[in-house]
Amino acid sequence: MAPALDGNELDELLGRCARRDAAALQALYARTAPQLLAILVRMLGTRAAAEDALQDAFVRIWQQAGQFERIKGRAMAWMVAIARNRAIDLQRAARPTLLLDAAELAGAEQLRVEGAADNAEFAATHAALRRCLELLGASQRLCLLLAYQRGLTQERIAFSIGQPLGTVKSLVRRGLQSLRACMES
Amino acid sequence: MNYNRPELLDRLAAEYVLGLLRYRARARFERLCEALPAALTARQRWEERLLPLSLALAPITPDAARWPQIERAIAAMNGGGAAPRAAARSAARRWWPVALAASLIGVALLVGRLTYWSEPTWQPIAVLAPANAAPLWRLERSADGAQINIRALGPIALSAAHSYELWILPSGAGNPVSLGLMPRQGKVERRLTPAQRALLAAARQVAVSLEPAGGSPTGQPTGPVVIIASVVRTS
Repeated sequence: MAPALDGNELDELLGRCARRDAAALQALYARTAPQLLAILVRMLGTRAAAEDALQDAFVRIWQQAGQFERIKGRAMAWMVAIARNRAIDLQRAARPTLLLDAAELAGAEQLRVEGAADNAEFAATHAALRRCLELLGASQRLCLLLAYQRGLTQERIAFSIGQPLGTVKSLVRRGLQSLRACMES
Repeated sequence: MNYNRPELLDRLAAEYVLGLLRYRARARFERLCEALPAALTARQRWEERLLPLSLALAPITPDAARWPQIERAIAAMNGGGAAPRAAARSAARRWWPVALAASLIGVALLVGRLTYWSEPTWQPIAVLAPANAAPLWRLERSADGAQINIRALGPIALSAAHSYELWILPSGAGNPVSLGLMPRQGKVERRLTPAQRALLAAARQVAVSLEPAGGSPTGQPTGPVVIIASVVRTS
């Protein structure tokens, strides 16, 4: 079980990174690298590519720490965004041929939001997302999960699930609208 | 797109966070977030909404060799040891030959990596030509706006006592901001600070001035401005 990710502690460490304290980056790495690596492995498909992307992400975190706005509890979201953006850039540059087979598609559909939230601050979003994803149509949910967790483009989602691109675009659009409406209700 | 319509901005932000925007659209949205607080807020809201999907994955411990590699990359970025604090500095005095070698390797790796990141995605910013003369340089930026590339279009004749310096002319009332010296031949790539990046994204013009060797001593143009060029708008 990963150690609980304490938002305040991460905020503090990022603040120290902005002041060029290398020990803070090491502490940040110890706290967050395993979670970021899990995200990158899921998106990039191989451990080697994911570890390279992880390294790039931490170099960027170090470079951009000064830009991080200290909004309470946002540190992890900020770092996840940096890691995901790096993976997206790598995927697009590599023009990957990764396609999903039926078993992987079934696996993606099972990628629900599981486990207990690590802290109370995060718990409300966590519970809302779980509830709202369950309320989406199965195809909408699958498209959103394949995009977010696997980093697939809409073209590749269309190919993977055997639907026309136009259908996938409208599933994504309606899925996002429903998700937003549900999470704000 | 009309960015004043919140529902459109929200959709764009959601598609950005999901990773569905194409490369140019991604870069455009990132620039928009720097200029328009509503765009940044919409993006952060979606990052937070979807974050549980990332945190639900079972953690994977990185290879133990990975952290030292990151440390080296960062030490190299800081000029070979600006970041570590006192204890590390005294250790560095003992180990300086090793540290120097590691730094040089780190720099080489980092330069290679930065080049790799941006290689295929240079976009034009401006062609720099003196009035009524042939162009001397091409100025380009990486798709994410984080780097610029200055290419000399031929050898540039200039005495050793002078340098040409590149400036952003901010779109508002601000003073010119230096982007460093121009190459006399070949090309140079330069990573922008967040402030330079934001200014360049919003600027309409850039300029080149003639300065003492090594660049302006004051932080503002001191010699004649030899080129003013319009910035190509990509959005």
